[in-house]
Amino acid sequence: MDFGSFLSAPEIQVKVITYRDIFQDKAMFEDRFGEEYRNLSAVIKLDPADLKQLNVKKGETVILKNSFGKVVVKAEESGYETPHRGIAYMPKSPWSNILVSDETGGTGVPKFKDISVTVTSAKGEKVTELMR
Amino acid sequence: MTNAMELYQMLPKTNCKKCGKTSCMAFAVALMAHELTPEDCPPLKDEPKYKENYEKISEIFKPSEGATETGLIVHEDLCFGCGNCVVACPPNVANDPYGVGSGNAPRNVNKLVLTVENGVVKAQNLGECRRFGKNKILCNGCIVTCPVEAIEFV
Amino acid sequence: MEKNYHVCTGCGLLCDDIEVESEKNIVNKVYTACRVGVAHMKEARRAEADFRVDNKPVDEATAIREAASILKNARNPLIFGLGTSTNETQKIAIELAKKTNATLDDTSSFCLGPLVEALIQDKLKTCTLDDIRNKADVIIYWGTDPSDSHPRQLSKHTYFPRGSEKQRGWEEERTAIAIDVRKSHTAKICGNYFFQIPPKGDAEFIDALIAGLSGKLPKTSYNYPPKKLLELANILKGAKFGVIFVGRGLIYSLENLEPLFKLMKILNEKSNFHLIPMVGNCNTMGFNKNLFAETGYVNSVKFENGTVKHGPEYSVVESLKAKTVDAALVIGSDPLLILPGSIAKNMLEIPVISVDHCETLTSKHSKVYINTAISGVEAGGSAIRMDGVKVSFEPVIETNHPSEEVVLKKIMEAL
Repeated sequence: MDFGSFLSAPEIQVKVITYRDIFQDKAMFEDRFGEEYRNLSAVIKLDPADLKQLNVKKGETVILKNSFGKVVVKAEESGYETPHRGIAYMPKSPWSNILVSDETGGTGVPKFKDISVTVTSAKGEKVTELMR
Repeated sequence: MTNAMELYQMLPKTNCKKCGKTSCMAFAVALMAHELTPEDCPPLKDEPKYKENYEKISEIFKPSEGATETGLIVHEDLCFGCGNCVVACPPNVANDPYGVGSGNAPRNVNKLVLTVENGVVKAQNLGECRRFGKNKILCNGCIVTCPVEAIEFV
Repeated sequence: MEKNYHVCTGCGLLCDDIEVESEKNIVNKVYTACRVGVAHMKEARRAEADFRVDNKPVDEATAIREAASILKNARNPLIFGLGTSTNETQKIAIELAKKTNATLDDTSSFCLGPLVEALIQDKLKTCTLDDIRNKADVIIYWGTDPSDSHPRQLSKHTYFPRGSEKQRGWEEERTAIAIDVRKSHTAKICGNYFFQIPPKGDAEFIDALIAGLSGKLPKTSYNYPPKKLLELANILKGAKFGVIFVGRGLIYSLENLEPLFKLMKILNEKSNFHLIPMVGNCNTMGFNKNLFAETGYVNSVKFENGTVKHGPEYSVVESLKAKTVDAALVIGSDPLLILPGSIAKNMLEIPVISVDHCETLTSKHSKVYINTAISGVEAGGSAIRMDGVKVSFEPVIETNHPSEEVVLKKIMEAL
């Protein structure tokens, strides 16, 4: 029983793994500023038990936060049979890139696949807009 | 799916013979065999008391979009044109060994069962498909090779 | 019947068997290409040519002049991108970088660069995709998901098709294995030959596999079932022509390439294995090869008065982090989309010239924007496929947008 579930806005820590989705790529070719690209990219796929602990229903938005940035995306169930609490999947996109660390150790390679975030319910807040 | 007995339960059961069959049971069997359609039973189609049953039976035998009469459907919103099914399909390979059989573009599109058009798989020539016809076998080449289960046989 | 095949430049596969129906320079129907290829060939076009300076439309000459002046006045401009440009464009870009004493880099510096370098320097054995179709019997997809990044790879080259020495194809003669941290689409196709490992577990998995190949007990700290590992080792030992496709999933999880070198060495002692990097864009491999031919390095170089320097400090990420570059010419790439936010934001502080075929996040924030023809669809040239094979192509439709080659030449003349 972790402390996070006692807070009024329960929060959990997850590791984010980014992946590539072909429909998202196709939407990017067609219109990277459009709705379709946003709907396919600003998404995080969580284990159903994690969703329950957060008190978030699939399709609602969540806030992802770490020391490099904060972003609001849509939460969905991952659909994988093996449970994976504490690990979440996001398509690689500018939304996931906001959370990537700038620590490179001088190698020029950012830690794209090593993202840790805190997830909380966004309570209806809309998905972050792309323009900086 | 369903069976003739369940269909019979939803029919008028009056044996009026307006469909051309001698009894409602015979009509149910004909429905299952796709010889007749729900519209061939005038009371079922026209009389208000059978409206709900008519809708239910129509739903069962609705020609699903894209389903050819041999029952193969491609879920176009899932398919992304990877071509695995095209290259794996046995009649495709037999009819076009140096084209799709070797992974290339088709050399003879008209003889193929599956081809990719505009990024989505298209089914045609289902007479050649191994699952149909007199010597049918349970071939599942296109189903197991699809990474997203976009092809289904109903 | 004569078929008019075109080449699709949507991804690193460069499929050369695409039939296209077009009318009045608009592509209507595309056969055989996957969804991404179709989207790439049908990319929506605005009718007018776009040249913008400070977000106001200008004519071509003004845009070129402005771009040249930005490069001339910069102490250390950055030239970046070129992953989807033709070989000819890349060679001009290298000349331009030399002339302006620029830092030159592409996306491979934070993707598969080190691996491509090792292959170009012949430190690792590789082969072509056609070899794989004809001969391969064991294929491993490690840290990559071709079903999503290069959709036709399994059906056109690697797993499903029949080849000259593999006439019975995937059903009887090929084994496809996927090693990944999640059950991707490719992993689904591999069925029982999918090995799921935890994130960052690749280095240990490689060590355990090497142990298994040498007949020792394979052990990992996350207790991967040794029996399965030994099974995998046996399949690899029995391979007559094996291939490992390496993607960013594996590269990002390893500190350096040492474990991979060790694995390839022992695999080639016991059997016969080759390695191919899963290059995403249609010509990043071309950029690496062209730059290597010119300078001996595959990316991250700085030209200075006739000399060339190389090192991670000249990569796009480090240059932006340390703010050592004071202007940028971005060709066919969108750094604000693909780089981490904390690093990409530094690009907003310097004048940027964006040369691309459509609006991107970067072009919206650039001082000069020049809209160009799409390589492969509207402009011809040549590119190098992910396995090193050169593919030439002609344009499919015509356009009045200038090609990248022409634009770069004009900028160079205006310097």
